[in-house]
Amino acid sequence: VRARVAALLAFALVAGCATVPQNRRAHFADPMMSLTGEPLDAARRQKLYDTREGAAGGDGAPAGGGCGCQ
Amino acid sequence: VTHRIVALAAALAVAAAPATTARAEGEAPAPPALSLGEADILGSIGAFHVESVTTRVTSFDQFGHGYQAQGGRTAVDPGSERATIFEPQLEVDATQGSRIKHRVLVPIDVVTNASADAIDLVTSASRHVESGAIDWTTTYKLDAASEATVAAGLHLENPFRSWHGGLGISHAFADGDTVLSATFLEAFDWFDRFDIHGGRHGRTDRSSTTGSVGLTQIVTPTTLVNLNYGVTIQRGELGNTWNSVPLTTFDRGPEDLPGERVRHALVGRLAQFLPWNGALHLYYRLYADDWGLVAHTGEIELLQRLAPIVYIGAVYRLHTQTGVDFFSVRADPGAARRTADSDLAPFEAHTLGGRIAFDVSMTSGGPRALHLEVGYDRYFRTNDLQINVVTCATGFRF
Repeated sequence: VRARVAALLAFALVAGCATVPQNRRAHFADPMMSLTGEPLDAARRQKLYDTREGAAGGDGAPAGGGCGCQ
Repeated sequence: VTHRIVALAAALAVAAAPATTARAEGEAPAPPALSLGEADILGSIGAFHVESVTTRVTSFDQFGHGYQAQGGRTAVDPGSERATIFEPQLEVDATQGSRIKHRVLVPIDVVTNASADAIDLVTSASRHVESGAIDWTTTYKLDAASEATVAAGLHLENPFRSWHGGLGISHAFADGDTVLSATFLEAFDWFDRFDIHGGRHGRTDRSSTTGSVGLTQIVTPTTLVNLNYGVTIQRGELGNTWNSVPLTTFDRGPEDLPGERVRHALVGRLAQFLPWNGALHLYYRLYADDWGLVAHTGEIELLQRLAPIVYIGAVYRLHTQTGVDFFSVRADPGAARRTADSDLAPFEAHTLGGRIAFDVSMTSGGPRALHLEVGYDRYFRTNDLQINVVTCATGFRF
């Protein structure tokens, strides 16, 4: 797993050396390209999974808080 | 920023000094000797402008059984986890000048058969629960490439209070191709302690501290990736206090959990624009904690634009997890640690979903765009839990 993570990080960093010009980033403005989705939709999905699975937390969202079932 | 703070402090000092003197001498206050314009003092802090208002209503209809629940056919059989949840949400996005952005989220939950898996079989304390929360995030643009974020929120529920606050910072490199971010979040929960017979025994609490770092990278003109690693440390009462555990003696005892949990998560996301006016989203999450639970979550979502104002989406999500080391559906009464919580058991969970969204431009006065969305998700687990989720959103962009 560590090797794969290192490879992915290296790929991302190397890719960062080739800048994509501003005028070629139009597709990223499309709502379909949002990495995290519409905030309310993301929030209700996250709440469902956080309260029904034992794997919440760690990625920027609070674990606990809310329904008290963590 | 320093320059503005100094200017603001100087203006306040200059303005306050004559007023204090005048009050001391019983005279009318004199105008300040130095008059700075609002723009000089506040810089780009300007009027409040609402950018968008979105509402979403979601209903969750849950069926299933869990061993932590009482009320099965015998004392050690799994009980019902039936619950229905109605969740309206509100989101307001606003700007304050050119540097400050605000986002306010207000979810409200109306839950019936709440805790059907627990004490409601012996008390009606939470058979019907209404809860509300507010989460306010403010982002300040430090310069062309950096932003700082402050977040705060609270959650109110009948037997439960929760507060959280956080800080974040991000910096863009390579003309915005690469964004590095770091966040810190602290949550504190304060809630009633029950026993498995429904008796109330004062209050208890827990804290959750989360730190995370992230990297977002534009790889090609149509490809965006994100990597995120975070760790959460929780301390205090980490259960809901009323979950029960079937025992080898054919009765039930209370759940017994450790007082600390360290949780790690590594997340990768990819968004790929497709030549036929569609988008592909891939998501993978690896999770591990010191209770022995390891989870893998993968998700694939395909979106397709059918017309300039409408697109559809389909999603599949797979979650697999090992149980925690001390999970048992028939525990020894002398066991130091034990839980029968079905959420901490080994299982696979699947989500199948679809949605359709409309983005309509409006030319008359008022909102400049209208967003409408309807979606459905079916969530089902291998350890007897199913949830039907229906969601509907309406948004206005100004």
